[in-house]
Amino acid sequence: MAATAHPLRLSLSEIEYRAEQSLLTISLRLFLTDVNEALVFDPNSAALAFCQPNESPNAVPLLLSYLYDYFYVKANGERVDLRIKSKTLSGEGANQALVLLIESEQAPPLRSLEIHNTVFTDLFFDQSNIVYLDVDGELKSFMLNKETPALRFSY
Amino acid sequence: MLRTLKFFVSLLLLSAFLASCATAPDTADTAQPAAETEAELIARALAIHDRVLTLDTHADTPLRMIEPGFDLAERHDPNETGSKVDYPRMKEGGLDAIFFAAFVAQDIRNDEGHQKAKELGLQMIDAVIESTETNAELAGLALDPEDAYALEKAGKRAIYLGIENGYPIGGDISNVELYYDKGVRYITLVHSTNNDLADSATDSKGPEHGGISPFGEEVVAEMNRLGIMVDVSHGSDEVFYDAIAVSKAPIIASHSNARSVTDHKRNMTDEMLRLMAENGGVVQLTMLSDYLRTAPENPEREAAITALRDGMKPASEMTKEERQAMRAAFNDINKKFPNPPATVEHVVDHIDHIVAVAGIDHVGIGCDFDGGGGIEGIFDASEVMNITIELVRRGYTEAQIEKIWSGNLMRVFRDVIAVAEEMQS
Repeated sequence: MAATAHPLRLSLSEIEYRAEQSLLTISLRLFLTDVNEALVFDPNSAALAFCQPNESPNAVPLLLSYLYDYFYVKANGERVDLRIKSKTLSGEGANQALVLLIESEQAPPLRSLEIHNTVFTDLFFDQSNIVYLDVDGELKSFMLNKETPALRFSY
Repeated sequence: MLRTLKFFVSLLLLSAFLASCATAPDTADTAQPAAETEAELIARALAIHDRVLTLDTHADTPLRMIEPGFDLAERHDPNETGSKVDYPRMKEGGLDAIFFAAFVAQDIRNDEGHQKAKELGLQMIDAVIESTETNAELAGLALDPEDAYALEKAGKRAIYLGIENGYPIGGDISNVELYYDKGVRYITLVHSTNNDLADSATDSKGPEHGGISPFGEEVVAEMNRLGIMVDVSHGSDEVFYDAIAVSKAPIIASHSNARSVTDHKRNMTDEMLRLMAENGGVVQLTMLSDYLRTAPENPEREAAITALRDGMKPASEMTKEERQAMRAAFNDINKKFPNPPATVEHVVDHIDHIVAVAGIDHVGIGCDFDGGGGIEGIFDASEVMNITIELVRRGYTEAQIEKIWSGNLMRVFRDVIAVAEEMQS
């Protein structure tokens, strides 16, 4: 796999449910250049300045508006509210990623979970979105893309 | 247009090949015939391609295997899905054998991160094994060099396993044997950022260990003991020198090119190439444009993008419809002014250079399909015969082409097994 400017288009998301804590946690790891391209049409734009002291007030609203169309999780048939608990930058240069942590209260029982992830498929026809799913310690990993945008699990 | 052109080229190649079959010699290890036409040259090249074992040492196809419904037995359109390898296209391209490398994107370097990486790595490996079992009439899992020759003889694709990035080993040395038992026969020590084993060539934070870490040295020793090839692609230059010094068996670079030809940190200097030859190892050429040539300027695209951005209102003030229209406009520019791709000529320029510096016994092919690899003329597994055609065009003999396509890598593979047997005895 290439390393420069990540020519294999990837994103990574981790979705974890803990019944004991009534907690659904979503972690999204997106390349910052892809985020900038998707939101302001310029991969190297500094206009939004995510996680910087001068972060634009438009940064989060634009991001949430984008994610609304391309990423969602439905628990028991209800769309989970994507309220960002924290966001950080990880790595540097072309490999720098924006890491979002989203937490949502979700009382048991969890009967179904639907995950839709087509982030950046509007930019790249070959975008691959890897999803790690952990429901009370039961792990599954899969890839979503333009061809397979969503998966649903019943419990 | 491109697809139409490719169709006609394919027809030409097929016609030339069929026309030549009746007269093709048993062996083409001879000088180029005088006054050979283009069609005759292509036919000669395809006949060689058919006779030698063709082995690609690097494809990230296991990542595709976790896509629900993805089936290696089905033919996929690379322009629609991005998929570059499946059994039907391997057969079309005359690609006999391939290393499927389980790649796990690096996350947090702690026990939890390592465990998740291990789970995903094993899931990918199991998916590959299951595919070979389900499609036993098309392919088989290969564990040693002889398996590939036997499978080729049976008309089946030989599927080897590798791991790209030592991150899923975590801090547990016993995982190396677990992966070996699964069928893994090479491990790339590191990927695009430093891990607990070694420094990356491309980590913007710079070196962390000054090459291979003490734990990484233990991992290399364990790989030597088991018979797993040590892969230094993606490693820093110091990782290469450390691997040469530490490994008791020859090493490989499963997908790297020559830095003298294309100045990139992922490529290998002439000094490294010479040391690779002394080591008895092999450098496998990869089909990534940025590693094959310096990207040429694209002023038309830049001008069009700038003009579009200049007339654009702030993204935060756009309606959803305006955003969609703007995205379509940018996508149109990218289609209209694509960056000039690397070509098969660039690939063989690198091969020529490595042969000149290290010798014919130390170069091979590792395309990096499904990991970003794929260039004009070698876009997916169905087009790898174009490498052989260009090699023949430049005067390489069948014996040399056999070494490039598989002989060199198999020699290293056998040496690695011999070292393991010696260590275990």
